[in-house]
Amino acid sequence: MAFLRKLTPMALPVAVLSWLGLLVCMLLRASPSAAAQWGTPPDWLILTVQALFAAGLFLHERSRPDRLRGTEFVALMRQLLVWPGALAAVCVVLHLAERLLASYVPARSAVLLNAFYVINLGLFVYFLARTCYTWRSLVFFRAQPRTRQEWRWFEILLGVALMFRLLSGDSIPWVVLPVLLALAGLGVYLSAHQQWIAYLNRRQKWEVVFLQLAILGVMAVFVVYFLSLQRDPQLAGPLAQHAFLVLTSFFAGFYAVMGFLVTLFNLPTAGVFEQKREEILSMQRLSQLIQKGQSEKEVYSLLFDSAVQTMEADAAWLDLGSEGSAPSLAFQVDTETREGICRLLADYNIGHIEYLNNDLPNSAGFRALELPYGSLIVMPLRSSKHHYGTLYLLKETRQGFDRENLSLLHIFTSQTVLSIENLRLLEESLQTERVKEELKIASIVQESLIPKTLPADSWFEIRWHSLPAREVGGDFYDFLQLSASRIAIIIGDVSGKGTTAAFHVAQMKGIFHSLMLLDQPAKGQPLQPSKFMAMANQALSHCLERSSFITASFYIVDYKERGFAFARAGHCHTLYYNAITEETFYFQTEGLGLGIIRDASYEKRIKNMYYDYNPGDVMVMYTDGIVEARNAQDEEYGEDRLRKLLERSHYLEAEEIKQSIIRDLEQFSRGLPPFDDQTLLVIKFKNAQPVA
Amino acid sequence: MKIAHHATDDTLTLSLDGELDASSSVSLDTELTKPEVLNYRKVMIDCQRLNYISSAGLGVFISHLQRFQDAGVKLVFFNMQDKVHNVFEILGLDSLMTIVPTQQEATAV
Repeated sequence: MAFLRKLTPMALPVAVLSWLGLLVCMLLRASPSAAAQWGTPPDWLILTVQALFAAGLFLHERSRPDRLRGTEFVALMRQLLVWPGALAAVCVVLHLAERLLASYVPARSAVLLNAFYVINLGLFVYFLARTCYTWRSLVFFRAQPRTRQEWRWFEILLGVALMFRLLSGDSIPWVVLPVLLALAGLGVYLSAHQQWIAYLNRRQKWEVVFLQLAILGVMAVFVVYFLSLQRDPQLAGPLAQHAFLVLTSFFAGFYAVMGFLVTLFNLPTAGVFEQKREEILSMQRLSQLIQKGQSEKEVYSLLFDSAVQTMEADAAWLDLGSEGSAPSLAFQVDTETREGICRLLADYNIGHIEYLNNDLPNSAGFRALELPYGSLIVMPLRSSKHHYGTLYLLKETRQGFDRENLSLLHIFTSQTVLSIENLRLLEESLQTERVKEELKIASIVQESLIPKTLPADSWFEIRWHSLPAREVGGDFYDFLQLSASRIAIIIGDVSGKGTTAAFHVAQMKGIFHSLMLLDQPAKGQPLQPSKFMAMANQALSHCLERSSFITASFYIVDYKERGFAFARAGHCHTLYYNAITEETFYFQTEGLGLGIIRDASYEKRIKNMYYDYNPGDVMVMYTDGIVEARNAQDEEYGEDRLRKLLERSHYLEAEEIKQSIIRDLEQFSRGLPPFDDQTLLVIKFKNAQPVA
Repeated sequence: MKIAHHATDDTLTLSLDGELDASSSVSLDTELTKPEVLNYRKVMIDCQRLNYISSAGLGVFISHLQRFQDAGVKLVFFNMQDKVHNVFEILGLDSLMTIVPTQQEATAV
């Protein structure tokens, strides 16, 4: 083949030169006077230039790039016809002109006839080459590599056939006959490759039928011309390459005839093919459109319209019933029919499965409905988890739908379900984003609820630390300066974490500030911590869900009295360092969490406690997130470790004590994220006088 | 968290195994919400293998406490680990619920 590739650029010049050579030879032989002067060229020379010419043209055509663009079959054939068609006209005109001239100048008629013969031969060979290689484009369309191999053999055998005439002279020897027959057989076999016709629509098929006819006509014109010339005594040279030309003409003609017949017989079914094509196209359209669908409604109506159009349904509806209020889509169908069919399908328990009935008038149940329809398809829109709706299509004719319709519809609906699910996922992620944003706001709001400024006083120091496990937490603490010498402090924890807990925190803060209004020591009615707890419990009983509860510790510190009153409602024990006894201990008081008992008996379960403090005493209040913090070994931080830490650090300032606890906690949990909200308050009592 | 049932004529024993946190407390709540639970005279909770109880877990017992009392069903905890008992104690639940050391005592209640 590399050899052939080297020959290719020379093919056209060789063809042109050999044609000119042939012309000269034929003219020399036709005019005896010239022949006398220049000599008569022998037969073998003429045959050789003829063979060179044919080989050159075929090689040239062979090397041309494939003329088929995409699936433009009609354009390809039109191209073939316009040139060779024009050539045929030229050929016929030349022939007539030659006959006309011959009658006027009989003496020169032989020269003219031979001249035109050479021209026409050139045209015919060109036409054949062009046709053969146009057919090659069609044969190769969507063909297996095997077909290319077969074509190559066909070409090689044709090349061999070209030689026969050179070697054997006029008659065809019997030995080569089988080769020629094999070649003809191969031509017939190749002619069976007519896949391209399937890709034509109805109009194109008609066009192709006429184009094929025209091509056959052109061929016939040539053949008639050459046959008539064969017996003409005036023809000066031996006839052109018999076997080769006959075989190529045979192939070109046979392929055209086959193509013509196949196209012709395909015409009646063109409608079906077109419908299939239309289905595929509308499926492509649908899949593109559906991805652009902005809303579920849009996607559903796209599916519905495409399905009705493609299936050519006479009536249809899309039931989105399980989707609640989503409007259903309907096309030329009344409520009665819909309800009748739905009820019947529900009775048979096939309301939500794929169902095809092509003979409604003869099916039990449907007959009773007396529907004007013959065929029904039911197609559910369903993913593995969810049923979105059901599509019903009706046709007036029986056998209106086939299996392909069903599978196509299946693809339609899967595509739709996919789009709907995508839309929902998108919606969900937007929602999540929104919730995140709102949580961020909630976190900012909660942050603002935490007291930032302290009633700064010289007789005590207070420091705090708070770390929610999530954006918002369930821990809370607050202070309120009741008078110059009294301050109320609360710390607590709402059961649960996150947003619900955060709501109750806000509630608790409101309750704290409201109830503190009841504290009127001037009138001899200071608020007792147990009373505070009881009232808070009562207030909460109406707004706390049954499984929630709140723990709290509440203190009222009085500088004048140098003591504090406090109550504990299920909250962690307060850690205390007494500077006089140098003891570090937890206040062991009884007290039930808020919201556990919701009647008046609660008050009995809360104890007031009073304690006199000394300068240098340290009070550590915290939530369970501190003592229940865990390390990698799943051990809890624990009350003991906290107590021992305070034993070592009680002499420090409140801020430093707080820092040492946080540090120790971090060291303990070694970078594990906090499992629960952590809140810590450290109070150190001082010896100084309060600012007057 | 695993919950094992053991029922006699008038007593239902639930053995808790693992950590009773926010997620596992849902299944416990489902168990205790069943209407037939109220047909027993006593519900005993075996806490021997209960390693941890969160506020959500406590919330489950708290929310059923009143319902059990109204129906005359006794709720008894036994074999409780110190750590878990401490949680009940801090919250004040030890004074509200019957918590006994052993199964014999629980049966005797």
